[in-house]
Amino acid sequence: MKYAYFLSCINESMTRELDRSLEILEKDLGIELVKLTRGTCCGGSNLDYVSPDHFLVINGRNIALAEQMKLDLVTSCNTCLLTLRRARQILDSSPEKREFVNNTLRDEGLCYSGSSDVKHLLWVITEDYGLGRLAGLVTTPLTGMRFAPFYGCHILRPSNLLGKDNPATPMSLDHLVETLGGIPVEYASKNKCCGFHTLLVAEKESLALSGNAIEDAIRAEADYIVTPCPLCHTAMDAYQPMTLKGRAVSRTIPVLHLSQLIGLALGHSREELGIDRHMIT
Amino acid sequence: MERREVSFRIYRYNPQVDRHPFYDNFKVAVEKGITILRVLNHIKEHLEPRLTFRAFCQAGICGSCAVRVNGISRLACTTQVWDVLTGSGDDPILVEPLNNLEVIRDLLVDVDPLMEKLKQNSSWVAPAIPEQQMGCKEHIVSETELEVIDSATDCILCGSCYSECSMMGVNRRYISPPVLLKAFRMNNDTRDTIGAERLQQVTADHGLWDCTHCYRCVEHCTKKIAIMEGIHRLREEALERRMTKSEGARHAQAFFDDIHDSGRLKEVTLPLRTKGVAGSLGMIPLAMKMGLKGRTPPLFMKKIPDIKHVRELYRKLEIRAVVKRHAVRQTERLQ
Repeated sequence: MKYAYFLSCINESMTRELDRSLEILEKDLGIELVKLTRGTCCGGSNLDYVSPDHFLVINGRNIALAEQMKLDLVTSCNTCLLTLRRARQILDSSPEKREFVNNTLRDEGLCYSGSSDVKHLLWVITEDYGLGRLAGLVTTPLTGMRFAPFYGCHILRPSNLLGKDNPATPMSLDHLVETLGGIPVEYASKNKCCGFHTLLVAEKESLALSGNAIEDAIRAEADYIVTPCPLCHTAMDAYQPMTLKGRAVSRTIPVLHLSQLIGLALGHSREELGIDRHMIT
Repeated sequence: MERREVSFRIYRYNPQVDRHPFYDNFKVAVEKGITILRVLNHIKEHLEPRLTFRAFCQAGICGSCAVRVNGISRLACTTQVWDVLTGSGDDPILVEPLNNLEVIRDLLVDVDPLMEKLKQNSSWVAPAIPEQQMGCKEHIVSETELEVIDSATDCILCGSCYSECSMMGVNRRYISPPVLLKAFRMNNDTRDTIGAERLQQVTADHGLWDCTHCYRCVEHCTKKIAIMEGIHRLREEALERRMTKSEGARHAQAFFDDIHDSGRLKEVTLPLRTKGVAGSLGMIPLAMKMGLKGRTPPLFMKKIPDIKHVRELYRKLEIRAVVKRHAVRQTERLQ
């Protein structure tokens, strides 16, 4: 199994441990993730406000780079996923826009045709690789450990662009936790918003959003929160002391990346997986 | 006709009498195809005459009967009981009032705050034709012009998106999705004349830039309107009109600039560029703690290998934008 791997800016800076732990998993799972080093930032759902043309060309280029490699494009960031899939939908539904993008990309020898799919790492693990196959690799089952799965918005909504999990009752991450021997905790916030995208614009409100979800997970007696999105991770881990200020909770709760969750069950140490780099450990 | 007995667990609260909200359980024999609204009417007529809710057209047009069914905001009149059965069909169906609005009684909520926000943000067309000439002269809207706002005009102000909105849940003063959708719809109506003024209103505090783009409004819109596309378009318009001083606008501009400079987002200076020097001071303790864990973003982001190609794309797009702006000016002059 071979994919082009989209480099998300946050994983190149604040959450570097996500990609490091994923590199370890590649060997275990026999999945080859070819880094899309020539790709750029997707614009984080902000670029199109400044210029919709730039948003289309930049992301058409990102997908065209994967097409050139004849590979599907995989990302481990929810917002990169949605942004790339939004661009893809626009390009697939409008021959005029596709022509405009391709005319602009021609000098670089690139062409968007729509042949590469854009997938989330969670989908690759649960669907392409398969939970049955993954179960066979578990050496250190996460027995007795309680996980609150936090999906994040941009892997669920809008469902017409994403459409793997039911946004009201997502289950894929819950099933993954079960496969690895852990206990998925039922709690009301699993499909809610972490507030990341407004942290620098409406900080108080954003902290209230992530705080509500964290408090909910603690009340459901989870030992860990696990999320497939590095942005949700940042809102819930780095900002956790700020979000819990003034709340009647007795403890903090560590937040794991998807790749770290699998890594633990496959017998890797916390150090190898960079779990000690987190703010809440 | 398929028929079964279904349990309903309904939120009850009369703030003038009850100290706390409570739930009442009812068992109703229901035929397949029956809606939640028909069940509520049946309960009111035969089982509990005090049950209070709002409803009118029974056809998904007036938008008055929105409630939360099993936690999700939807129209009672278009939601069939069979479609919301859970478990083996024996779990009670939970019916509750919309979120983010005060309960007047039971399932009836006070929609005045939403109406007030619509008023504050000029949610109507302010036409160029003077009042005294209204009805004498026609203002033709072409099919292409209508297409832009066609879907947005389907909004029936049912309040489902208001109830589902993440930001509304933590800030009742937030402008809210239906008000932003109306602003998009009015600002793109070719008969309207107060776009700039309306945009000033919607970009005030607790406004346009506070949307977290969680897409809950889109997911639960009872008319399937792509509300976020409207919000995106309003943000584009704010930048087109050079309303670039807000934190949200500066934040967006940083992404645009960084992709040109290095291909990657320079997260280390993002707070400074979004919030300014004074606004960023409060973030120093967090940055220091993150530094101790090695989580500080690098001072200099390495350029992607092919940055020259990306810059060339920017150059081509800039030329295209200049040509476009020139063409618009020419057309305006001719008109």
